[in-house]
Amino acid sequence: MAKIKKDNLRNFCIIAHIDHGKSTLADRLIEMTGQVAERDMADQLLDSMDLERERGITIKLTPVRMLYTAKDGKEYIFNLIDTPGHVDFTYEVSRSLRACEGAILIVDASQGIQAQTLANVYLALDNNLEIMPVINKIDLPSADPDGAGKEIEDVIGLDGTNAPRISAKTGVNIEEVLEKIVTEIPAPECDDNAPLKALIFDSYYDNFKGVILFVRIVDGIVKAGTKIKTFMSDKTFDVVEVGTFNPELRPKQALYSGEVGYIAASIKSIADIEVGDTVFDVNEPTSEPLPGYKKALPVVFSGVYPLDGSKFNDLKEALLKLKLNDAALTFEPDNSTALGFGFRCGFLGLLHMEIVQERLEREFGLDIITTAPSVSYIVHKTDGTVFTVENPTKLPPAVEIEYMEEPVIKANIYTPPEFVGAIMELCQEKRCVFEDMVYIDSKRVKLNYELPLNEIVFDFFDGLKSRTKGYASFDYEVSGYKKSDLVKLDMLLNGELCDALSIIVHREKAYARGRAIAEKLKEVIPRQMFEIPVQAAVGGKVIARETVKALRKDVLAKCYGGDITRKKKLLEKQKEGKKKMRKLGSVEIPSEAFMSILKIDSSDK
Amino acid sequence: MAGIYVHIPFCKQKCTYCDFASYPNEIGKQEAYFACLYKEIKSKSELLKGKTFQTIYFGGGTPSFVEPKYIYGALKQIYSCYKIDKNAEITLEVNPGTLTKEKLKVYKNAGINRFSIGLQSACNQTLASINRCHTDFEFKKALEYLDGYNLSVDVMIGLPEETLSHVKNTIDLATSSNSVKHISLYALKAEEGTPMFSKYLNGELLSDDEVADIYEESVKYLKQKGFNRYEVSNFSKEGYFSKHNLNYWQRGEYIGFGVGASSFIDNRRFTNTESIDEYVSAVLRNRSPEVFSEQVDGEDAKKEYAMLALRTEFGVSLLSYELSFGSNFLVDFANAIKKNRKYLDITEKNIKIKSEYLYVQNSILVDFIG
Repeated sequence: MAKIKKDNLRNFCIIAHIDHGKSTLADRLIEMTGQVAERDMADQLLDSMDLERERGITIKLTPVRMLYTAKDGKEYIFNLIDTPGHVDFTYEVSRSLRACEGAILIVDASQGIQAQTLANVYLALDNNLEIMPVINKIDLPSADPDGAGKEIEDVIGLDGTNAPRISAKTGVNIEEVLEKIVTEIPAPECDDNAPLKALIFDSYYDNFKGVILFVRIVDGIVKAGTKIKTFMSDKTFDVVEVGTFNPELRPKQALYSGEVGYIAASIKSIADIEVGDTVFDVNEPTSEPLPGYKKALPVVFSGVYPLDGSKFNDLKEALLKLKLNDAALTFEPDNSTALGFGFRCGFLGLLHMEIVQERLEREFGLDIITTAPSVSYIVHKTDGTVFTVENPTKLPPAVEIEYMEEPVIKANIYTPPEFVGAIMELCQEKRCVFEDMVYIDSKRVKLNYELPLNEIVFDFFDGLKSRTKGYASFDYEVSGYKKSDLVKLDMLLNGELCDALSIIVHREKAYARGRAIAEKLKEVIPRQMFEIPVQAAVGGKVIARETVKALRKDVLAKCYGGDITRKKKLLEKQKEGKKKMRKLGSVEIPSEAFMSILKIDSSDK
Repeated sequence: MAGIYVHIPFCKQKCTYCDFASYPNEIGKQEAYFACLYKEIKSKSELLKGKTFQTIYFGGGTPSFVEPKYIYGALKQIYSCYKIDKNAEITLEVNPGTLTKEKLKVYKNAGINRFSIGLQSACNQTLASINRCHTDFEFKKALEYLDGYNLSVDVMIGLPEETLSHVKNTIDLATSSNSVKHISLYALKAEEGTPMFSKYLNGELLSDDEVADIYEESVKYLKQKGFNRYEVSNFSKEGYFSKHNLNYWQRGEYIGFGVGASSFIDNRRFTNTESIDEYVSAVLRNRSPEVFSEQVDGEDAKKEYAMLALRTEFGVSLLSYELSFGSNFLVDFANAIKKNRKYLDITEKNIKIKSEYLYVQNSILVDFIG
């Protein structure tokens, strides 16, 4: 059975730096191929979540199928698979790249190639994709398309001289892009007669159809009635419907090899399938899964609690619903003396964490309190047992710990050369181990460091941004675990341990951080009826102390002309504010206190 | 017990902290305003049929700024429409800078028997900086004119640059006449939209701690002079409480006439518009000038009772509460009482906030309105 070139098919994605115009170009392509009536087009069609549209970033992939009649007179089917543009989602990017034969690389005519773009270009090259550069935003006054073209050559080694020079915004030269997709991006080579092999590159949960699998059919055919299975799951499913993305789901008789589309098979739970897994036909099983599957593991953990303790079940429902579409999100029940019942959640990274938190608040209308993010540590106890700890409060007493290991990452920091010194200084403070420095060109340096993930979740991002005026960018990958001298830093309020404020830090940093957190808490905890000592302690020993003084004045003095209503309203407002506080013993703690330990300026330390 | 409040929304110049319904440049509207005020007074007589009033209070603005005939006219209208107790407390607020002997004669004829004088500070520099239209000299003059009446004086703490010694000077001046039986001591509050607010934003005002220090010392100082605190901001000599204000704390009924005036009648709280034009136009068209109204019944009434009574040194009288609501205060507010036991004085007859916590009462009151 031989592979056949399906010449009317082109599967591709778009790689671009955040706000370099990926969504705009996608919209333009869709518009030009006439798939979507203009009146139906909300700007930036593919970013379907409100949150994405607001932030201008793409998190969730939404593929779209287009029909294009090229200048050669033939009709082509284009499948555009959008990719998330953030380091937290590298794995998802790699999955969607696997579904394509080519990638359009958008380079901003005024800003050139950015760090994140480069990382994804390498990812695409690793996946044997044909890279097709386009130079965007030529309408900007600061545009330098020749410079950008040269950069493509210098940095990536691709010929940038023939790259279409476009403006996705104004629609200039989009036709050229469409033609180049036909001529430059290879058609898939595949075999309809081979046993079914389909790559799952995404999924979401639909209330009526169950889990919708986004697939690239690598070989074979799938249609309603096919009994399917995946390698990672024992369950068998009957395909109910297959179809393509237009971009809404459009049912089709069958999906053939080389095509991109969806499968609905009454799959009840997203936990039953995993992105990156391979679908096959039960009656014609293949022995080999497609390569590259990796389980997406959370690396950042944080406590999520309902502001109103009675909303625990609502929070649970919301997390379950999010989990339907977000296989990487993990959560398990947790409780804290100060915050009551909640969940310990695991995320792919800090952005993923923020997105989940925002969705809980926006889409589910929940008020939540989140604790400072933590990473997962390996604890070796003196009795020889080894286990991982994701929650500082679960750490055994220091005397029972032989040693601990913490996750380390390989970080690539991209920066203009003038900030190298500032970055090196920052890295020094963050326990980074220098590995390599490469001058990419006269305007860009790449620094490679190995550093503890623990430092990233603290305030590395902010530090990097503020010290490089926002010019530096970076990406990272967890590279393993390293032995480290770590201690648990506890905070005591009015003599009581506030478990939700405990963090794990390197011993050398404990003192400075304890002091900084105590100072910060003094600022954010409002004065109350009595004096509140705020202490930082390591292993029961107090290392820093601040005091929140007792409240002296809290009264509505004048009650002019008997306006009792106004007074009542003011008191009610005060009561509402108080309701949002958490109680630890008799101390009231505002919810922002639990995140405030992250917002300590690095220069304080 | 029931009271009448009349609002006079005119003043000579606006103090920098003032956010009341008071307009320095609208005096041209006084003729129309009072015509409407009289009309409003009359229009409510049906609603208030059968009630007797023990207090009448003219507040502002500056009631002593307008021509005294209007005050006379208002009182005349009130007497002709309502039943007023023959021993009624009838108070007029005066600004020392606008009081004259001639005006006083009219007030006397009208039946005013108590005056509340706005002094705020004895320091002329401070008075000028907050745009008061008088000095200590005019105040002394006013005390002379008003000798023999039942007098109250307003004193402010927390004014810019004012230390405890300034406040003590002010208290000395305020209590320099034997006729002064009552002191209102208010802390400055920088309200949004006033010139004072920008001072607050610039951090030019005293801190809460500094104000609390001055307040505590002032309470002691006034006590030495025979003025005892009976409400967080009010002090008096034995037997000289402001009946009108006390009525507010005791959740008594009152009717307010004029712009911005609030009322509490038959368990309904309502407030008039703060705009003179809106007020005039509503009254002329026989429409209600009310812009806000709420019925306060059941649990809400109980909460209000607690919130108001706990402002006073007497606190909540358990018997009065039971007579008003037919239930036991200790049972109704068991949780709030338990939570704040440390801050409350509890006796067989009443529950009050310990005097040292009266100045942080909001933190306690929120539990009683919850």
